[in-house]
Amino acid sequence: MQPILKMESLKKHYGKGKNVTNALNGITFQVMPGEFLGIMGSSGSGKSTLLNCIATVIAPDSGSILMNGRQVQNLKGAALADYRGKEIGYLFQNFELLDNLTGRENILLPLSLHGVSEKESGRRLAQLARYLEVEEVLDKFPTQMSGGQKQRIAAARALILKPHILLMDEPTGALDSKNAKALMEKLSGLNEREASTILMVTHDSNAASYCNRILFIQDGVIFHEIRRDLPDETRQEFYARILEVLAQLGGGSANVL
Amino acid sequence: MFYKLVFRNSRRERKENGLFFSSLLVAIVAFYIILSLPYQDVMRFLARMESDAVNRLLAMIPAFYGLTLCLMFFLIYYASRFQLERRRHEFGVYLMSGMRRIKLFALLLAEDFQNSVAALLLGLPIAVLLSELISLLTARLVGLGIIGHQSSFSLTAALETAAGFLLIKFAAFLILSGKISRQEIGTLLADQPEGVRPQKPWPVYAVALIGGIGCLAAAYTKAIRGLAWYHIMEMGRTLFLGTAGTFLLFWGLRLPLGLLARRKKSGRHLHVFHFRQLQETVISRSGALALGSLLLLAALCFFGAGVAISRFYGEAEHILDYTFVEEWGERSAEEIRQALQEQGLEEQFSHLFEVKVGYIRTTEDYEHAFEMKPVLEALDELQHSSDTSADSSEDSWRNGSSLQNHLRQYTYPHLIALSGYNELLAAAGLPELMLGEKEAALFQDAEFANEEDVELLNTILKTRPKAQLDGQEITLTGEVQTASIVTDRSITLALALILPDEAFDYYTQENYDIYLNGILAEEAYAHDGLMAAISSLNEKLDAAGLPYESYLQNMGRQLFYMVAASYITIYLAIIFLLIADTMIGVQFLTGQRKTGRRYRTLIWLGADYRMLRQSARKQINWYFGIPTGIAACSSLFGIRALLNGLLSSRVRSNMSEMMWISAAMIVALCMVEYLYLAAVKRISDRYLQGLMEPEREE
Ligand SMILES: Nc1ncnc2c1ncn2[C@@H]1O[C@H](COP(=O)(O)OP(=O)(O)O)[C@@H](O)[C@H]1O
Ligand SMILES: [Mg+2]
Repeated sequence: MQPILKMESLKKHYGKGKNVTNALNGITFQVMPGEFLGIMGSSGSGKSTLLNCIATVIAPDSGSILMNGRQVQNLKGAALADYRGKEIGYLFQNFELLDNLTGRENILLPLSLHGVSEKESGRRLAQLARYLEVEEVLDKFPTQMSGGQKQRIAAARALILKPHILLMDEPTGALDSKNAKALMEKLSGLNEREASTILMVTHDSNAASYCNRILFIQDGVIFHEIRRDLPDETRQEFYARILEVLAQLGGGSANVL
Repeated sequence: MFYKLVFRNSRRERKENGLFFSSLLVAIVAFYIILSLPYQDVMRFLARMESDAVNRLLAMIPAFYGLTLCLMFFLIYYASRFQLERRRHEFGVYLMSGMRRIKLFALLLAEDFQNSVAALLLGLPIAVLLSELISLLTARLVGLGIIGHQSSFSLTAALETAAGFLLIKFAAFLILSGKISRQEIGTLLADQPEGVRPQKPWPVYAVALIGGIGCLAAAYTKAIRGLAWYHIMEMGRTLFLGTAGTFLLFWGLRLPLGLLARRKKSGRHLHVFHFRQLQETVISRSGALALGSLLLLAALCFFGAGVAISRFYGEAEHILDYTFVEEWGERSAEEIRQALQEQGLEEQFSHLFEVKVGYIRTTEDYEHAFEMKPVLEALDELQHSSDTSADSSEDSWRNGSSLQNHLRQYTYPHLIALSGYNELLAAAGLPELMLGEKEAALFQDAEFANEEDVELLNTILKTRPKAQLDGQEITLTGEVQTASIVTDRSITLALALILPDEAFDYYTQENYDIYLNGILAEEAYAHDGLMAAISSLNEKLDAAGLPYESYLQNMGRQLFYMVAASYITIYLAIIFLLIADTMIGVQFLTGQRKTGRRYRTLIWLGADYRMLRQSARKQINWYFGIPTGIAACSSLFGIRALLNGLLSSRVRSNMSEMMWISAAMIVALCMVEYLYLAAVKRISDRYLQGLMEPEREE
């Protein structure tokens, strides 16, 4: 099977001279179709930088990113916009809903950006809304929604155009544990039902325990990888394993993360 | 380090924000032009002739300058506010990195000062040039070739301009920087989108919308029916209705915009987004938008009025160029003729003739010397019939009654001899007036004769009504006569009777004044123009010691009112226009920056620059278009009402031409709007381009 996403010795630095930060220091990994991959690392380890490189919001210094065999860095103009809108879906830590649009309008926004007719996606919208349990807030404005509802609306928006891969940057970062759990259950359910590929960046071990595989990065490089032993390993067991890795990484204390 | 920062920042400022910098330039030019008004060619020329009126106008200049300062303060305040708002984040960073607030204040002050000086260095020369240009242009337009151009540059005006400019700039700076420096660093660093305001149920907005339209409609009807000029209260009510209507309309506008956003229109990029954006700004800024729209309306009305005045004021055709009055110089008309001949001045005139005007000397019963009961009765009757007819507006009622009162008053009119009057008509190329032995014609000076009244009287005169002149019956005939019997103001008659010469001699007992009127021969002024010809002849007449009245005074007076009125109205129009546009533009750009995050989100979702640019441009079109459209609509009625009140009835009949002028105004406004739109769009484009660039992620 061909990987959906393939990263090859990706490097990215910020700043100049003495102030230089090597956010990514040669990262190589692959994401297979249908995989739910987590990337964990402490704050400042370069997780967001990595995701932003994939999302083409920032350009890496060197290395390559191949999405379905295509060089992402070479995309320009309409192809680039299409890539951002249709091939990847992006879920942000702080939702990034447009607060002057209703839930429905937010979800449909990618359609209007990419000239897709609403009729085609009407069914998809209804399905997603039902599955994500946001039907009753579709016509409300974000200020009238709870954090969990907002993030699920944002998820529906990211998924409406059936992207090849869903990128998530700390999706549970702004949610309480109950809402975080609900969101993660919905997302991993989606991963199982529709075999959608998800790449999630987080430092929340609980959220990470929903993944199939986890990469740990520190100082811009991958230093460890664990894989959930499905279907034998329960989520609780996997969670315990994650904590173990983190304990080694943090020099004995998981709390610093 | 500090100075380097100041220097770099203020230069970047000027480069990045042309809109802001040009608003500074506009303020400087506006100040200088008003202050250099006394040095303009036309004003210098008029000061010699109409010194009273000119001096009164010039005495008003300080007040006018004050007004301009206040208006420009708003302009600068708005422009600077945008300027500072968009640098909030930068200030937050300065403070975070340990700069003390007082230092930040000093930094901003120094930047501000440097920008002001740069604006003055560039703006003053522009202002001086523009003022010269206006001076030359107005002089050329009114045909003042003779007086010779003098530079309108004035050092005092320049210094006062600089002082006023620095003053308001500093005032605006103090208020704004006070606001900024009191804020927490956190709020400076964060983007703050508008807090979402509580929404009222939609019927409230529907009622506001309908109420607003109703108020406007009421104000419009009052305006075009001329009711507004009927009474000061009525005027107040009209203005109140119009203002309240505009505010209500803008407040309720969120409803139709919401509906537009909800309208299904697939395929169009960002359709929903930009209507929602628009709706949001309209919601949070409806008051300011309404104000902007009213300012635009004021600009349009002033502009329309100014142009109409300059086009029509004192356009009355004149026949006579000179009047010599015998009583002034204690010389008889005959002696004056002789003197003219001796000086060799007679051949300058194509016509030289006498008009005799006298009083009724056959009776001393001033209350009953002249009565025209049949005319008054006929007027009464016409009045009644029009009262009962369907379109009995207050307007015609007012006219009729004032005309009756006016006529009833004149029981002791002046008399004019037919022969002289006919010579006047002949000179003007008009048909002779024929009167039988016991007949007379009514005369009114053009100043008193308004068109409707004259028409009314003419229909009555067709019936050849009888009147009593010192107890004897005479028949009134012909049309009301309005040709001026002197060139300027040596005599103005509200009502007089034209009598055949024998009757005239009888009633005046041959005791009358003679007005010797002259019309310049065409050769005399073909070369230099009438104004120059009269000026040079006046010099000769002065030298000969002949008392005279020339058309020059009349022209001068008209010219003065025309120049003063159109200059001031057009000036105010331009200022209002610029303030309104700056206000609206700055609001849009500030809003765009505050919602910059949304554009960034759209980029993440795959919007490309072209789409964002298009959406922002569409928003700008709407954002300017709504207030401009409403102002343009109101101005059609406003200009009409204004012209109704300002211009004489003679000109009023030219309504269709007036409306063309208003239409031209609106086109001119649209062109200015277009330029402004283009500037705002450029700034918006540049901002969006900045968002597109990667690496700018925070
Ligand atoms: N725009 C930027 N300019 C300079 N340094 C940056 C920028 N963005 C991130 N960094 C630095 O790069 C490193 C990685 O950041 P980031 O990818 O945001 O980490 P994470 O998301 O894992 O917390 C950090 O040290 C951060 O300070
Ligand atoms: Mg991060």
